[in-house]
Amino acid sequence: MTQQGSPIRIAGDTHVGKVRTMNEDALILEPRLGLYAVLDGMGGANAGDVASQLARDAIRDFVLQRRAALAPKALLEAALVAGSTAVFTAAQQHRERHGMGTTAVVCLVVDPKHVVIAHVGDSRAYLLREGRLQTLTRDHTIVEDLVERGLLAPEEAERHPYKNVLSRNLGARAEARVDLLELELRPGDRVLLCSDGLYGYASAEAIQYLLGSGDAPEHVTRDLIEIALRGGGGDNVSALVIEAPAAAPSSTQVVRTSGAVTWWQHRQRFLQVASDGGLARNPIVRGLPAQEAIELVALSLCQAIYHDLEKSTGVNVWTFAQNLAAGWFERGGDWNAVRGIVDILGGAARAVVDDIRARDAKLGFLLDVAVSRALIVVELALGGLLAERLRQIDSDLIELHGAALDTVEHDTLETVEPLESGERSIERPGERPSERSIERPGERPSERSIDRFIDRPTIPFLRPERPVTSSGESSEVLGAIAKAITIARGRLSPRAELVAQILVALETVATDSGGNFAAAVLAARELYGVRSVDNAGVMPLFDAFDKARIVAASSVHQVRASPAIRVRVLRALSLAHQRLVAAATGLVLEAVVPFGERLREVQVVTGELREAVARAEQRRADLERKFATIVDPSLPWGARGSTEW
Amino acid sequence: MADSHLAEAVRVLRDEVLDTVQHGDRDPPGAEVFEALLRALTIGGESIPGLDLTLHDAVARRLAWGDSEEAVLADAELVFDRLMVSADRAFRDPADQMVVIEAATQVAVTVSRVVALAAVARAGRDRAARMREEMSHQQLKEVLQKQKAALQRLEHELKQDFR
Repeated sequence: MTQQGSPIRIAGDTHVGKVRTMNEDALILEPRLGLYAVLDGMGGANAGDVASQLARDAIRDFVLQRRAALAPKALLEAALVAGSTAVFTAAQQHRERHGMGTTAVVCLVVDPKHVVIAHVGDSRAYLLREGRLQTLTRDHTIVEDLVERGLLAPEEAERHPYKNVLSRNLGARAEARVDLLELELRPGDRVLLCSDGLYGYASAEAIQYLLGSGDAPEHVTRDLIEIALRGGGGDNVSALVIEAPAAAPSSTQVVRTSGAVTWWQHRQRFLQVASDGGLARNPIVRGLPAQEAIELVALSLCQAIYHDLEKSTGVNVWTFAQNLAAGWFERGGDWNAVRGIVDILGGAARAVVDDIRARDAKLGFLLDVAVSRALIVVELALGGLLAERLRQIDSDLIELHGAALDTVEHDTLETVEPLESGERSIERPGERPSERSIERPGERPSERSIDRFIDRPTIPFLRPERPVTSSGESSEVLGAIAKAITIARGRLSPRAELVAQILVALETVATDSGGNFAAAVLAARELYGVRSVDNAGVMPLFDAFDKARIVAASSVHQVRASPAIRVRVLRALSLAHQRLVAAATGLVLEAVVPFGERLREVQVVTGELREAVARAEQRRADLERKFATIVDPSLPWGARGSTEW
Repeated sequence: MADSHLAEAVRVLRDEVLDTVQHGDRDPPGAEVFEALLRALTIGGESIPGLDLTLHDAVARRLAWGDSEEAVLADAELVFDRLMVSADRAFRDPADQMVVIEAATQVAVTVSRVVALAAVARAGRDRAARMREEMSHQQLKEVLQKQKAALQRLEHELKQDFR
């Protein structure tokens, strides 16, 4: 039996079990009244089913007749008393039915969030909330009463011979003491009403698992009964599941599901509006057939928005905008074209949203927000790209400015100190004019030259006397070094030229018989070459150093030699590598020195200029004071004209 | 492989490699290199060079506290040299020696990389600062010109009024 009409989903069923021949359980499933119950009759031949059915009818009739007059709790309590009276009276009238009775667990659904539960006997009500199962009722058995009064331990109760003997039921007497419980349901809560034929033959874990499975109540009911039957089915089994309405889907869920689908269903409208907006005439897609342009640009964005709606991300739209604008800028395109195409696509998106809103206001509103967010992501991506371009231009301007100043300095030098006879300008490959030094006869180059690292004879912080390698290595070791480097070079890709050069340098330094630092410095200078003093210039060199170290070290292990020889080879190569990298670092340190020096020079000039301004200001103040006190103290300052700047 | 036993063996060489006696409770110069070596040995040979952020941090801190780049590099080189000698003596197993040599090289090279990065970053900052200074030169010169004109006018008016 299933009830689907109300917002609360309900299903209930009963089964005779595997042992009993008669089903003495009864169910109430009255959605009109919001009344649901499980009753378990008892009392000998032909009496148990009579008791449960009598009580069922009495309870249902009472609720039907008095529901308008009584409050829910009072109604339910009175209904169960009426049921008990009906059973008791019938038992009194028929000798063979004497002693019959029934349990009852009854649920009255007041509204979808509010239920009242009443029970007498050992039929139970369970609540499954957020995956946890809890028992809402306490069995009215003698053993349970003893446990409650502390006279019996719960574990003893499980094994107690009178554990099924009821202390209360409907029909034992005309009156009945009813336990009542009010419950506020939360979205997704499930209430289970059941007879002892279920929980007596199915574990609480199994009940929790099935109730929490997410299956429809009718399937849960069927499975619960099935599991009790598998557990023995020694009694009649009844189960009734009441499921509170699930929470309303969040706006995100709506957008991700129906919103995304609806958007995609309107893609033709999107393409049409974009086409009407003149997308095919935009310079970015010039040269493409109109249809292809529309599909390439508009459909791509439409698709990107769809995927982003589906996943609640912005990554697809971001990528689309980046690709579109970056590709256009790389081709030398201007900003207006990008702005134009984005405006057209934005207009198309808004037209689609308007269409959807006209049919479904709520969905249209949600999509409006979501699509607007996607369009903002597009703007952000474009903004990021523009910012990157500005940074690049800024950097280029700084470079140009630096180069222009260098030229001025060079010209000044030539103007102030013209080359005398016998002087010569030293030009080195790859060197800018400003970096050339001037050499005079009888004078050491370093005294007159403009400081550049390339002109420095040594790396100052390193001790030249320190040995680079353990000079005097045996020929066996030297041969093994050569083999290791050969193996390493063989493992490199042809494009790794810098790494290959470093390996050659390593071999040179490691096998240098002189054993001094000069070999490392020379090799480092060759590797350093003419590099810009920034990350782009320097870091590739250090990356290549790392690659060379790794490939060289691993190649040592492949050399056919004794372990002792390998150790010496690795040691020589490692020492050479450390010295080489240190020398390169020294070159970097030397290369950055002029930047600091120039800054300090410029700061000195700034200081001088500021002092001159301050002196002039002082002079002006003195003159104005003199002017005011000697010439005409009565005249206001303004009458003498402004001296502000 | 993770070489925790090697790390323990190298840890014993601390007093031999670093000038711990001279510096008492303070960390001797190059201690950050030695500690980085121990970490590299503990993590194992699969560690990616240059990713030892603690070493980056230690070198950056030394530079920030005023140690010169040259001093940092010289200390690293000294520790490296001493380690080469100590490892040669302390480890009989060639395989162990090779692991220590590789780790020590990696650490020493990482120090160089960090120092070079710091120097390049400093150069960029200096370059930008110089440009700002030069722009302020221009503004100051303009101000000076205006001041000069105003002073001349004031002096002229002063003479006129005296007459």
